[in-house]
Amino acid sequence: MPSLADMNPPANSQNEDLRKGKAGQVLAADGLVKIYRGGEHPALDRCDITIHTGEIFGLLGPNGAGKTTTISILSTLLRPDEGRVTICGIDAVKHPNRVRRFIGLVPQEIALYSSLTARENLLFFGRVYGLGGRRLRKRIHECLEMVGLVDKADQLVATYSGGMKRRANLAAGLLHNPQLLFLDEPTVGIDAQSRNLILEKLIRLKEAGTTMIYSTHYMEEAEQLCTTVAIIDGGRIIAGGSPQELIRRAPGCSSLGELFLSLTGKQLRD
Amino acid sequence: MKKLGATIHKELLLLWRDKAGLLVLFVMPAVLVVVISLVQENILKIMGETGTRVLFVDLDGQTLGKNIEDKLREAGRLELIKKITAAEIDEQDAIEAINRGDFQFGIIIPEGFTDAIRRRTRQLAYKSLSMENAAFDKNTAIPDLIVYFDPAVRGTFRSAVMNALNSVILVTEVNEKLKVFSEILPQKIQKEIDATLGSFASEGINDTLPELKLDIDGKPLMQVKESSTSRKAFQKTPTSVQQNVPAWALFGIFFIVVPMAGALIKERHDGTLARLLTMPVSHLTLIAGKVAAYVLVCLAQFFLILLIGIFLLPLLGTPQLELGSESTALIIIVLSATLAATGYGILLGTFAKTYEQASMFGPISIVIAAAIGGIMVPIYAMPKMMQKISIFSPLQWGLDAFLDIFVRGGNLVTILPEVISLLLFFTATMIISWVFFFSRIRKGM
Repeated sequence: MPSLADMNPPANSQNEDLRKGKAGQVLAADGLVKIYRGGEHPALDRCDITIHTGEIFGLLGPNGAGKTTTISILSTLLRPDEGRVTICGIDAVKHPNRVRRFIGLVPQEIALYSSLTARENLLFFGRVYGLGGRRLRKRIHECLEMVGLVDKADQLVATYSGGMKRRANLAAGLLHNPQLLFLDEPTVGIDAQSRNLILEKLIRLKEAGTTMIYSTHYMEEAEQLCTTVAIIDGGRIIAGGSPQELIRRAPGCSSLGELFLSLTGKQLRD
Repeated sequence: MKKLGATIHKELLLLWRDKAGLLVLFVMPAVLVVVISLVQENILKIMGETGTRVLFVDLDGQTLGKNIEDKLREAGRLELIKKITAAEIDEQDAIEAINRGDFQFGIIIPEGFTDAIRRRTRQLAYKSLSMENAAFDKNTAIPDLIVYFDPAVRGTFRSAVMNALNSVILVTEVNEKLKVFSEILPQKIQKEIDATLGSFASEGINDTLPELKLDIDGKPLMQVKESSTSRKAFQKTPTSVQQNVPAWALFGIFFIVVPMAGALIKERHDGTLARLLTMPVSHLTLIAGKVAAYVLVCLAQFFLILLIGIFLLPLLGTPQLELGSESTALIIIVLSATLAATGYGILLGTFAKTYEQASMFGPISIVIAAAIGGIMVPIYAMPKMMQKISIFSPLQWGLDAFLDIFVRGGNLVTILPEVISLLLFFTATMIISWVFFFSRIRKGM
């Protein structure tokens, strides 16, 4: 078994892996710290993340590692106690509203109104993004087509299967063509076909230049999809780089899943 | 503006699809207004505004029993029932009918009542004029006039019937006494003249003595006129409809907190709030859209209740709701009350962790606020302590303002204190919700 020291490069080295200069940089987070009131340890402890255009950045970690806190801070939902976040060149902590037009969020929950149809949901979210008229209707059609829901667009979301809900959830995040898309476990608990469709569409989006931050528990998904991954545990990034590079660096590990378990341990995290 | 419009449209669409919410918002207050108005109309009848059905058994069968019956009928406050089936009822029938709960009261005029009263009156008259008469020198026992009542009848109704009966008895008694005095007093005067003047008294004096006709059967000299303290003269006395329609409409308006808080909690739990908070829209727009949508719904709800008061209730036998002429003041009160209700809905939706918490606490708190606010029982009928507490209920502020317009003939100036209170309540709930919401966001939702 490789030791943690073998696989977890020193912080500086990690940062080198994650930082690739400012050119083409979509997101840069420096020294993020978040301590929840009453929490024994920081939920996030001096995290640095840099993401470039067209990258799919995988955020991996066991339950309670700090993934959701990281995504919440980067997507302007939560303010860090310390540190800076720059998105598309704008300080996201100081000017969250200015950043929000560039980002899209696909939350882990099905963040849609279940008593509205998929089209009504997209119409509402589109208008909130400031879209309207024919342009919005066209964009709604494109998004529904992308996730294979055109035929069911006028059906209440409540009547959808789990897979259809996930796909509609993704469509709502893509509506305004965001430059940076946050995906928090977008394929959890769905059928193989829906999962396959979502992954295919994400690859298509990546090819079209959309940058993504992708949080998942499925290591094979991350290995297949992500250009860069960061493994986070105890609020700190304990490993980072391309999946292939990380596997290569860890002797005895043939997959990202094996590497993940060797880094975070096999004990349950409930 | 487009974003605000989108939020309002979304909220209205969500409410439209929420059948249970619509039931709470429209059907419940409509049913409450109809039921309570009809029930209270009946209570007013029992309290004496119109006839309460009372069994009447006249075992005396002579003049006084008949007099009492006639006077009770004339007074119009009691409807006297002498037959349940074809035959006239006796005392035992009356007791059984009351025990069965078929009637609440029974008046029994005892046998020999007229004779006993008349003998006793004469005894009193002779005694007070210091006259002697062998036929009336012993005190005559008067049999009791009995009123049977159902033990379940409340004290107020009992005293209403007793008051009606007592006033009739008093008039009858006074009349009887005067009749006897009219008869005896000239005899006494004649006796005194004879005793003083002896043979000087000519027979002619007897003829010149005035004949006394003391009778109070005619109209009373003093009358009590009912008059309200309305600022404007109302053609009709305020009815139960004038009081119940605004009261229960207000209750319905405040019930908006249940679907509203539910919608907020659902948004928080299903992630739509998180999605909205990462979108380029201000929190103020989101919350203003929600408030505006629910205010529109409350206005529709209030309009429906008014229509019920104007058109439906009269068909069911109640008086028609009269809106008065202060429509601007009325709109201002409704808007202030709906804002206060939506503010409370947002407060509840922000503080409650689950829909179950909100759906339990919301209605209970509204019912308590309604009870102390005078929606169910008028504030003047409450104990002193509760009257002091009632000023803290926003429903009381709203109701007082409505009654100002509907019943007291008030205007924009007179409703101003209540309107300000409602708007301050709205502002306070919004500020508290805002502070708590952002403190929760800082803690990570």
